[in-house]
Amino acid sequence: MKFTSLPLAPHQAALRDLPATDRVFVRGPAGTGKTTAAQHYLLALLQSGAPGGSVLVLTPQRTLAAPYHQALRQTRRRAGGAPVIQTMGGVARRMVELFWPLAAKPAGFAQPDAPPVFLTLETAQYHMARVVRPLLDEGAFDAVVMDPNRLYSQVLDNLNKAALIGLEYSEIGPRLSRAWGGDAVQLRVYADAQRAASAFRAYCLMHNLLDFSLQVEVFRQHLWPLPLCRDHLIATYRHLLVDNVEEETPFAHDVLRDWLPHTQSALLLYDDDAGYRQFLGADAAGGLALSELCSETFTFSESFVTPPVLQSLVPELAAVLDQPLPPQPPQHVPTLTGLVLAEETTRFYPQMLDWCAGEIAALVDAGTPPTEIVVLAPFLSDSLRYSLSERLARLGVPARSHRPSRALRDEPSARALLTLVQLGHPQWRMTPSLFDVAYSLVAAVAEMDLVRAQLLAQIIYRPKDGMPQLTAWERINAEMHERISYVLGGRTDTLRLWLGESTAKTQQPLDHFLSRLFGEILSQRGYGFHDDLDAARVAATLVESVQKFRQGMAGIDDAPEELGQAYLRLVEDGVLAAQYVESWQPPAENAVLLAPAYTFLLTNRAVDYQFWLDIGSQGWYDRLYQPLTQPHVLSRHWQEPRTWTDADDYATSQARLYRLVVGLLRRCRQQVYLGLSELGEQGYEQRGPLLWTLNQLFRRIPPTASE
Amino acid sequence: MSLPTDFHFSQGSLQDFADCPRRFQLRYLLQIAWPAVPAEPLLENEHRQRLGQQFHLLLQQHLLQVPLERLQAMAQSDAHLAQWWHAYLTAQPAALPGLHLPEVALSAPLNLPGRENTWRLVAQFDLLVLTDDGRALLFDWKTSQHRPPRRWLQQRLQTRVYPWLLMQAGSEWLSGEALPAERIEMVYWFANFPDRPERLAYSRAQAQADEAWLHGLVERIALLAAATDDFPLTSDENQCRFCVYRSLCQRGVQAGSAAHAGEDDYRDYEADTTLELDFEQITEVAY
Repeated sequence: MKFTSLPLAPHQAALRDLPATDRVFVRGPAGTGKTTAAQHYLLALLQSGAPGGSVLVLTPQRTLAAPYHQALRQTRRRAGGAPVIQTMGGVARRMVELFWPLAAKPAGFAQPDAPPVFLTLETAQYHMARVVRPLLDEGAFDAVVMDPNRLYSQVLDNLNKAALIGLEYSEIGPRLSRAWGGDAVQLRVYADAQRAASAFRAYCLMHNLLDFSLQVEVFRQHLWPLPLCRDHLIATYRHLLVDNVEEETPFAHDVLRDWLPHTQSALLLYDDDAGYRQFLGADAAGGLALSELCSETFTFSESFVTPPVLQSLVPELAAVLDQPLPPQPPQHVPTLTGLVLAEETTRFYPQMLDWCAGEIAALVDAGTPPTEIVVLAPFLSDSLRYSLSERLARLGVPARSHRPSRALRDEPSARALLTLVQLGHPQWRMTPSLFDVAYSLVAAVAEMDLVRAQLLAQIIYRPKDGMPQLTAWERINAEMHERISYVLGGRTDTLRLWLGESTAKTQQPLDHFLSRLFGEILSQRGYGFHDDLDAARVAATLVESVQKFRQGMAGIDDAPEELGQAYLRLVEDGVLAAQYVESWQPPAENAVLLAPAYTFLLTNRAVDYQFWLDIGSQGWYDRLYQPLTQPHVLSRHWQEPRTWTDADDYATSQARLYRLVVGLLRRCRQQVYLGLSELGEQGYEQRGPLLWTLNQLFRRIPPTASE
Repeated sequence: MSLPTDFHFSQGSLQDFADCPRRFQLRYLLQIAWPAVPAEPLLENEHRQRLGQQFHLLLQQHLLQVPLERLQAMAQSDAHLAQWWHAYLTAQPAALPGLHLPEVALSAPLNLPGRENTWRLVAQFDLLVLTDDGRALLFDWKTSQHRPPRRWLQQRLQTRVYPWLLMQAGSEWLSGEALPAERIEMVYWFANFPDRPERLAYSRAQAQADEAWLHGLVERIALLAAATDDFPLTSDENQCRFCVYRSLCQRGVQAGSAAHAGEDDYRDYEADTTLELDFEQITEVAY
């Protein structure tokens, strides 16, 4: 994406030209040019003489900060300090690191004179597993059937949400229980969730570990009230620019509420009808309430993105889903011309995919750049990703996918490396499958094909006494030498010898083993990673994951002796190497994007054409199955004492669907294609609420109006 | 290929170019992740690197007025750290009346004649002290085991780049007034040699020479990027022993040992494993 200095609309220019002494709130739907105006405001602020280092740009997540990075990089600016672009969570973490000596003791950490250990999502999950496993053995959570990793992450999620709304962590279970009006079995689940959360918190305090929730709590309770820390922040950052304040959490809003009166200038941007990160604690109402602290409010209403034909649907959707009208509803005559349906009804899922791929190919043939097309679904399963990518590839259309939960361990290069780790550590008694060994040879040895790799693996791979072993090349018979080739055999043998020597060496951390394996063998000429930059990127991410795991174990007195072995076991269990968020993926190319709908929304970009797949699916409507938590009850706005009812569930689901559909429409420049198959991916008939809503829309808007 | 029009240079990237143009290209232009070992012994280097970071953090905390007794307790977690901390408190290298700005990041445009771009030079100083008597002192904390001689330090890019950048960007603290070169001084303070800091005064002549040299270097990089897909490899193959890309360039197998580096080589090899300063790579907890 490029920062352009196209002429601004008068209301945008007015915002840019504000003096650096105002506190301003800007609201409006997505696509009305708020962020563009804010980019220019930031540059004008710096140009006016505001020291760069006194400017803090806050966004709810890093990806949303990209426009500001671009504006700063792609503009000629005078010399000076560098504006800081952060998340509020990042600010909290930095302050905890800086003022740790003052917070550690009052916060209850057992080793206040030792440095803190900040946990990643991955390492937090690992420690949570250590804490929860004994509880599972005692019978905790026996009423729920779910993958243990999801269980761990939901306990962490509860702690995070409690920290973000300022709720005592010991109140998580009681609050969830008080709001529950169903089967008493669920109360036991909440009680277990509380036990797990309490045990984890005690464990963190004992070992100086700080997961996200503890970082927030330490900052909120012990540092923000401390004059030394607060004055440092307030004196350093006198100019605040906060984008997507509706996606921020009550924690961020509370801090901003205290901070704003002390700023020299502030600009807050609020998206109407958003708050998509509600499942992560976003509080749109709390964001809107910050307007009270601003001296002026600008309302942007004219969309630079959404055409009138799509804008005209917003009030109709509000009526169908029983939602309040937008503050400044568009005045266009409602029409359906912005929506495209297949001419013939598709009964089966593959037919819908055929239709989708065909329409995309036609658009690309007609000159639409692939990058201006997205295919959205409630979830992006492997089969959907594969099926659609295949169809598009056959039609010559490049496609890429974005799944925030794609696991590093599922990357072929990472799997090959982990297999080699097992071969290099026979004492761990982890024996990979024959196929994994063959596959690791394909990945590791240049020019090795799967046929020869399987043949070679069958001959040289000999697990003995539960330990993996590789036989020397020279011991293979001559016929096999010919079939496999001396070159490939020689390379494999060099790898075998290296692994053997490495085993004999003094114990080394697993990340060091991987670095040496990569540098001394796999990235050398004749080996698979030498010319494969993507594989190298995956290897780098894996090394980083192992290193963070090792560092996250610092100070744990009963840590496993063989940390590397423990890492591998946790990878097998799906606890580790599962959370890296696409950091190893190559940059986006000009390709059609396949993504879950919410993932696309959170990237906050607009495209010409959207394809909504499987609009009959219940997945467009349902909240994630999370038996250990409840985002609406663990919210600042939950009023106690009351019980969560079906009516609440219905109301919040309707509101969520409205926000989703309107959010997508506002990020579309041309048309939305609606993909419908009577039978879903699993073969069941589909009549989900999105389909019902769209049917209502088609009934409300007469066909004549759409012609 | 070409040099991106919004490229940011740092002393680290420029030093890499000076050491090996190919390394500069691989690391900064192509951004190739290459997780090989930079220098041995890895575990020891990693330990020293972590201690160095802790020491920098302690000093920053001290400069932010975190009470001494709390820092004193933190410093006792390691014998080296405790020794460096004691040396720092004894020497008080930056105890001067004035404004103390720890970990300050600055940047300045590199406006080369005839070039339409937004290239900038960026740096983060360990400590900038603007003294009451009008001087600007740039402190750099060093925890290296060996104390390099003055001449070696004078030749490092850091010594040429930091004062020049401060001269360009320092007016921010002087109500827009320019900071004269003669008032700038670069101070290297060595935790292992606390009584032997190296002070390098700056001058107008040096600033002019540095600017011409810096512009020339950047111009060379831009021309090279426009002319070739493969930047040349260094002719000094000793550099490759301490470079992660050695396998990619087919310049060796195993990392060199920092303990056996050349007699005139005072680099902090442990520092090579740290990420280059990048304002866009700000730590964030994924949530």
